[in-house]
Amino acid sequence: MNKLTILLILLFAFHVQGQSVINGVVLNEKKEPVVGANIYLEGTYDGGSTDINGAFSFTTTEKGTQTLLISFLSYETYTMVGDVSYMKDISVKLKADVNTLDAVVLSAGTFSAGDNSKVNVLKPLDVVTTASALGDFVGALQTLPGTTTVAEDGRLFVRGGDAEETQIFIDGIRVFSPYTPTTNNIPSRGRYSPFLFDGITFSTGGYSAEYGQALSSVLLLNTIDEPDQEKTDIGIMSVGGALGNTQKWEKSSVSVNASYINLAPYIALFPDRNDWIKPYEMASGETVFRKKTNSGLIKLYGAFDATNFELIQEDINYTDGLRYKLNNNNFYVNGSYQGVLSDTWTIFGGASYTLANTKQKIMQRNIKDVNNAFHTKLKLKNRVSNRFKLYLGAEFFSTDFEEEYTDDMVENVDYGYNDNLAAAFAEADIFISKNLAFKTGLRGEYSSVFKDFTLAPRVSLAYKLSPKSQLSLAYGNFYQNPSSNILKFSQDVKSQNTTHYIMNYQYNADRRIFRAEAYYKNYDDLIKYDGEFPSFASRFNNAGFGYAKGLDFFWRDSYSVKNFDYWLSYSFLDTERDYQNYPEQAQPNFANTHNLSVVGKYWIEKLRSQIGFAYGFASGRTYTNPNEPGFLNEKTKSYNSLSLNWAYLISPQKILYASVNNALGFKNINGYQYANAPDANGDFARRALQPAADQFFFVGFFWTISDDKKSNQLDNL
Amino acid sequence: MKHLIIISTLLISVCLNAQTSYEKGMQKAFGLWQSNESAEASNLFERIASAESDNWLPLYYAAQINITLSFGERDKEKLSQKLSKAQDLINDATAISKNNSEIMVLQALLHTAWVAFDGATYGMSLSPKVVGLYTKASLIDPNNPRVVYCKAEWDMGSAKYFGQDTAPFCKDLERSIELFANFKPETPFHPNWGKERATEIFETCEK
Repeated sequence: MNKLTILLILLFAFHVQGQSVINGVVLNEKKEPVVGANIYLEGTYDGGSTDINGAFSFTTTEKGTQTLLISFLSYETYTMVGDVSYMKDISVKLKADVNTLDAVVLSAGTFSAGDNSKVNVLKPLDVVTTASALGDFVGALQTLPGTTTVAEDGRLFVRGGDAEETQIFIDGIRVFSPYTPTTNNIPSRGRYSPFLFDGITFSTGGYSAEYGQALSSVLLLNTIDEPDQEKTDIGIMSVGGALGNTQKWEKSSVSVNASYINLAPYIALFPDRNDWIKPYEMASGETVFRKKTNSGLIKLYGAFDATNFELIQEDINYTDGLRYKLNNNNFYVNGSYQGVLSDTWTIFGGASYTLANTKQKIMQRNIKDVNNAFHTKLKLKNRVSNRFKLYLGAEFFSTDFEEEYTDDMVENVDYGYNDNLAAAFAEADIFISKNLAFKTGLRGEYSSVFKDFTLAPRVSLAYKLSPKSQLSLAYGNFYQNPSSNILKFSQDVKSQNTTHYIMNYQYNADRRIFRAEAYYKNYDDLIKYDGEFPSFASRFNNAGFGYAKGLDFFWRDSYSVKNFDYWLSYSFLDTERDYQNYPEQAQPNFANTHNLSVVGKYWIEKLRSQIGFAYGFASGRTYTNPNEPGFLNEKTKSYNSLSLNWAYLISPQKILYASVNNALGFKNINGYQYANAPDANGDFARRALQPAADQFFFVGFFWTISDDKKSNQLDNL
Repeated sequence: MKHLIIISTLLISVCLNAQTSYEKGMQKAFGLWQSNESAEASNLFERIASAESDNWLPLYYAAQINITLSFGERDKEKLSQKLSKAQDLINDATAISKNNSEIMVLQALLHTAWVAFDGATYGMSLSPKVVGLYTKASLIDPNNPRVVYCKAEWDMGSAKYFGQDTAPFCKDLERSIELFANFKPETPFHPNWGKERATEIFETCEK
């Protein structure tokens, strides 16, 4: 019995002796108590929560060295390793988690479209429900500030830069021919269907060192990681048809999308100012394959399209008009892998290949070109801590361009160039606190064609002024090789460059956002040549220069009026440059001073309809009137367009969609073409460059077949 | 011999004690939750999860508390904090138990919380995800009453949004109530909620 007593006492004593108290107080950075924080010894049941004074106390039977964890929403988890006997009257200061939604964001110059992005200005749906966009993601971006309306071109012109200065990337990998081929005075569109993408980031300046070969802007498109469900999409449109299908398996999925556009019936009904011999026809197919591995995701994206048309356009120098014929085939494939290497390292690797074949016939001149382009990139990210992230990467671009020219006088002249460019970049994100962050990076590039090395530093800073507003600053150097129009004739030039200075203010409240951005951009080493067009006879150099400065404003509100969502964009731009064959510094004809966009969408529940409008205003653009002295000496009248659209849900899976561009029929003039030679009176005759048609109508029926009987293609429109 | 019996009884009781600290913890957490001390309950579930690293249930309940609290939250900041925490917990739970229909239902509810907060912004992108989850969950576990009931409630909500008849989903609710009646959770701590709410909604059907 004695033994038993001893044993009992021992057991009891063990219990009592094992009990030690852990207590203390938890405060935030402002020394205010944190209420409701969870405190516990890792791997045990022992713990408690803080009270209204931030105080906690609990007992534990654990002994020796233990890990004490303190966690609370929007704070970094605090870890303390030590002997439990020392965990008494401790005072812990929790640091704010810089990854929370209310933390400062490095966002100068950037517009994002996405669901949970901290700085989203557009929703993915906006890309396709903006009245003026006609399902083109480029069209939707043209309603954002910083862009210039160049209606006859259709591409993105950003802050005084020409269209070549914007580069487009799919899943981080460069797209070499992002726009559909077209000819003078017929706007181009984005080549890729918007519904394969779920994230769009449009940066109008000051972007990361990861992106190069773009003087003005980058547009980043991300394909969907994982489709939600299997479905078939059918679209029947006034201009053609589209068919899409998505299949899903346990770890992988495939989406296929094909479309055929033919403008012949439309042009038969609504003839335009061109004399079409073979109306615009385009067949395209896209596919995305995705596969999840244990620690990463593989994506393969492939697209092929073939376009052809032939037309006679009115021309002041040819009484019978200018005859133009085009055949274009474009193949693009892009593969990438992103995965986790360890707790702190992640890797991204990808490559793309483009093969573009274009045959043009301009009157008697035949031009055939083949462009082979390749891009590969490797990027590593090291999350050193929540407050310090490091990015390292290298990439390689290779372009092989060949052209063959034939006309009455010469036969089969071959020329072209081969450019290999290697680049490396390093960048760090540093969060000093929840209110102050830096991004600093450096990019180096070596071009084989110029045997030249460039080094581009980039810095940006963001400071939170109040819970809803922040101020950002950005500075950077950007280099870009001259385009194939130059390089095919001469490689004895070097890279062109810009320097950006940006200051941005952003106010972000519940479903309301206001942005104001001021910038100054300096251009240097721009290409100059003599003669009317670049040719073998031209002399090229890098003596060009220029500047662009301006103010951009953006306001969006989907809060104030129920079911109504609208945004306003205004850009003021002051730019001049001396490049190409300019005799002097002047405001280029693709840049104007004032641009305004107003876009609105209203959902009418009773009619199950969304109606939308988009109004665009652009002040006049410059042109040269040879009857007067000077260069780019006059301006066109301003541009106006109001577009309307209507999407009607017949049933959740069947949508009827109609839109009209330029509903009020404004007679817009994009510029003037003057005769090459003066008439008998010594005057140069002129012709106004008007759009092929003042208005455009579109009607479509879209049907989705899926298990859930609810998905629809509203987001494809 | 007598001593030996007493000692072994004692030892066993010590062992039992150790075994039931999970049960004690879970019971205490459910108690806190019932007495509206949700934050405390969530903290305790998380602590249990840290001790029971291969059990998905405490993570499941900690996530459920955060999701439940976020319905009706109008402050996007707070909503986002709660739901991203819930998402982390669901991710941890899924890592322990894959292809689990209960966790899929919870994930669908998390998406639903975003849709309920701002249907215009999140409806179009998250709806297919929600439907995809319910479809997958009902393939894995066709007789789980929560899958049937939550899917029916979601379908009714969508039908209302599109101005359509909600009556066709009443038979799904009815079926879920039958399934609830016969449902036996694997342990007392496995998910066993939803019957009351299903019955409540079903009553509106009959009117």
